[in-house]
Amino acid sequence: MFETSAPLSERRQVARDMFVLGFDAPAVAAAAKAGQFVNIGLKPGPLLRRPFSVYRADEGRVEIVLRAVGEGTSRLLSLREGDRVSVLGPLGTGFRFEPAWRSVALVSGGLGLAPMLLAARDARAAGLSVHWVHGARTAWDLGSEWDGEEATWATDDGSRGFHGSAVAAVEEEFGAVLACGPNPMLAAVAERWPDAQVAVETYMGCGTGVCLGCAVPLLAGGYDRACREGPVYRAADVDWPALPSHLSYSAVAMPA
Amino acid sequence: MTSDLGVDLGHLRLRGPVIAASGTFGYGTEVPLLERRALAALVSKGIFLRPRPGTPPPRIVETPSGMLNAIGLQGPGAEALLREYAPLWSAWDFPVLVNINGETVEEYGELAARLDGIPGVGGFEVNISCPNVEQGGMYFGNDPRAAADVTRAVRQRTTLPVWVKLTPNVGDIGEVARAVEDAGADAVCAVNTFLGMSIDLHAFRPRLSFRTGGLSGPAIRPLALQLAHQVARTVQVPVIGIGGIASPEDALEFLVAGCAAVQVGTATFADPQAIARVHDGIAAYLESKSWTTLKELPRYLPRD
Ligand SMILES: Cc1cc2nc3c(=O)[nH]c(=O)nc-3n(C[C@H](O)[C@H](O)[C@H](O)COP(=O)(O)OP(=O)(O)OC[C@H]3O[C@@H](n4cnc5c(N)ncnc54)[C@H](O)[C@@H]3O)c2cc1C
Ligand SMILES: Cc1cc2nc3c(=O)[nH]c(=O)nc-3n(C[C@H](O)[C@H](O)[C@H](O)COP(=O)(O)O)c2cc1C
Ligand code: FES
Repeated sequence: MFETSAPLSERRQVARDMFVLGFDAPAVAAAAKAGQFVNIGLKPGPLLRRPFSVYRADEGRVEIVLRAVGEGTSRLLSLREGDRVSVLGPLGTGFRFEPAWRSVALVSGGLGLAPMLLAARDARAAGLSVHWVHGARTAWDLGSEWDGEEATWATDDGSRGFHGSAVAAVEEEFGAVLACGPNPMLAAVAERWPDAQVAVETYMGCGTGVCLGCAVPLLAGGYDRACREGPVYRAADVDWPALPSHLSYSAVAMPA
Repeated sequence: MTSDLGVDLGHLRLRGPVIAASGTFGYGTEVPLLERRALAALVSKGIFLRPRPGTPPPRIVETPSGMLNAIGLQGPGAEALLREYAPLWSAWDFPVLVNINGETVEEYGELAARLDGIPGVGGFEVNISCPNVEQGGMYFGNDPRAAADVTRAVRQRTTLPVWVKLTPNVGDIGEVARAVEDAGADAVCAVNTFLGMSIDLHAFRPRLSFRTGGLSGPAIRPLALQLAHQVARTVQVPVIGIGGIASPEDALEFLVAGCAAVQVGTATFADPQAIARVHDGIAAYLESKSWTTLKELPRYLPRD
């Protein structure tokens, strides 16, 4: 774990309203594994840091992918090149990869694409063949970056690829399934592939394991920490109905 | 010249005035980044005698300059604490105090008895102020008689330092402070979190699953400072100030207002080095004034 004051050195758009930001943070970039996250502190900005999956990590740069949903993400997207943020990471326990699986499906929805480029990298390093299945609302929301390999697209409105969800678009059998997306989508993953590894989202206080704010309810009873033991879980181990789906907690747009 | 930042809290001498607040530092085994030389003492996450699962999520929500939490005192219970953490603590060069909780007066006493004499357990912070449990917690801290009963129950079972942590959610905090002092507290900690609430306008219900939570962070600093000052004017034992401290200046305000030491909590979430920053800033301030110890810091403490 490192904490570093990191300048913004990259910004590009990858889908409608969706941007990649890159920060120079060599120690964090070198250590980051697929499924891990960074906790970003902004000054001025909200009191608490904001967690983001590591999207890419090379050449000393940590990249994240995001969309503006509130104060923290809006501020991040208004940063200019050279502006500094505090990057704390890499945090959490990421995906596991075992050569015996031979093949792996990466299943993502919306911003759940965030950990998948690193997952593809680490899966290939483990000798696995990689198939990415990614879904979004429309063709314009899909995200444009993918480093080769096989990919299947899915859209809710059928404007590109499979008409329906990413989960429904998976037809073949794979040695293992890795998934990331809104918690309700991950609940559907758990139904179909109990052994899938899924990366969940929770609210976080510290990101380092000390506050117990990021509780993930486990089917076996009790809670553990999305920021330490997680954010990646065996799908069938999570008590999905008890895990809040944060989208229902979004701010309400008031009439002007 | 370097100043001596040591602080005497009754019989307990601390190497500095900045303590890690309960629930914001786990059991001290996480947060590898903090430079531990700055840590005067650590107060563990609150525990009960028996394991507790804690409250369902969402457990935290950010509010203007602060946060609400309802963790519900999730913890492994006394036996696991003894097995897993106390042996580590006994090797550390600063004391660890255990934040103890109970649903009944007897349970506090029993917990103190179980932990007393265990190497690594440096003392107790008696939590009579947690707003996030159905039984016990804040309800003991609301009533001077109950607060005194809990303090006495712990005092009778240990010779280790006993600090009592007060709730701000009370009519007259001075009265509770005096009651726990009379019952044998070695120091009084002021304050725990303020009871608060936040509503989700999508779901038309509270954002926290526990409905209410405890407010911490800079939002509570002036409120906490006023209460800590009031307590310092009321009791003779040392007062440990807590609430929204994030900078050396914040800490100095509490010290000038009559506190012997301070605790830093929520600030650690934003900055894992917060405690070192506060400690070093106080040291630099003393040096800039050519004061060799904290005793030379002028205090504003008129006695009523
Ligand atoms: C491990 C982890 C990895 C994440 N990775 C990414 C990522 O790669 N890209 C990305 O865009 N987002 C990611 N998120 C979610 C991101 O952290 C939140 O969207 C962000 O904190 C919102 O901050 P804000 O200040 O903009 O919004 P706020 O004003 O705090 O909230 C605005 C809206 O976002 C929701 N929200 C706030 N915090 C979270 C959260 N932690 N999880 C889910 N929803 C939240 C709120 O309910 C509300 O609807 C991740 C979260 C976690 C826990
Ligand atoms: C996430 C969280 C958990 C906490 N847990 C405890 C606890 O177990 N016992 C306790 O006495 N206080 C607990 N507190 C209260 C803090 O120790 C402190 O009194 C309070 O947060 C105010 O200080 P601050 O503004 O510096 O955080 C907790 C606070 C937070 C934010
Ligand atoms: S966010 Fe604090 S323990 Fe996980």
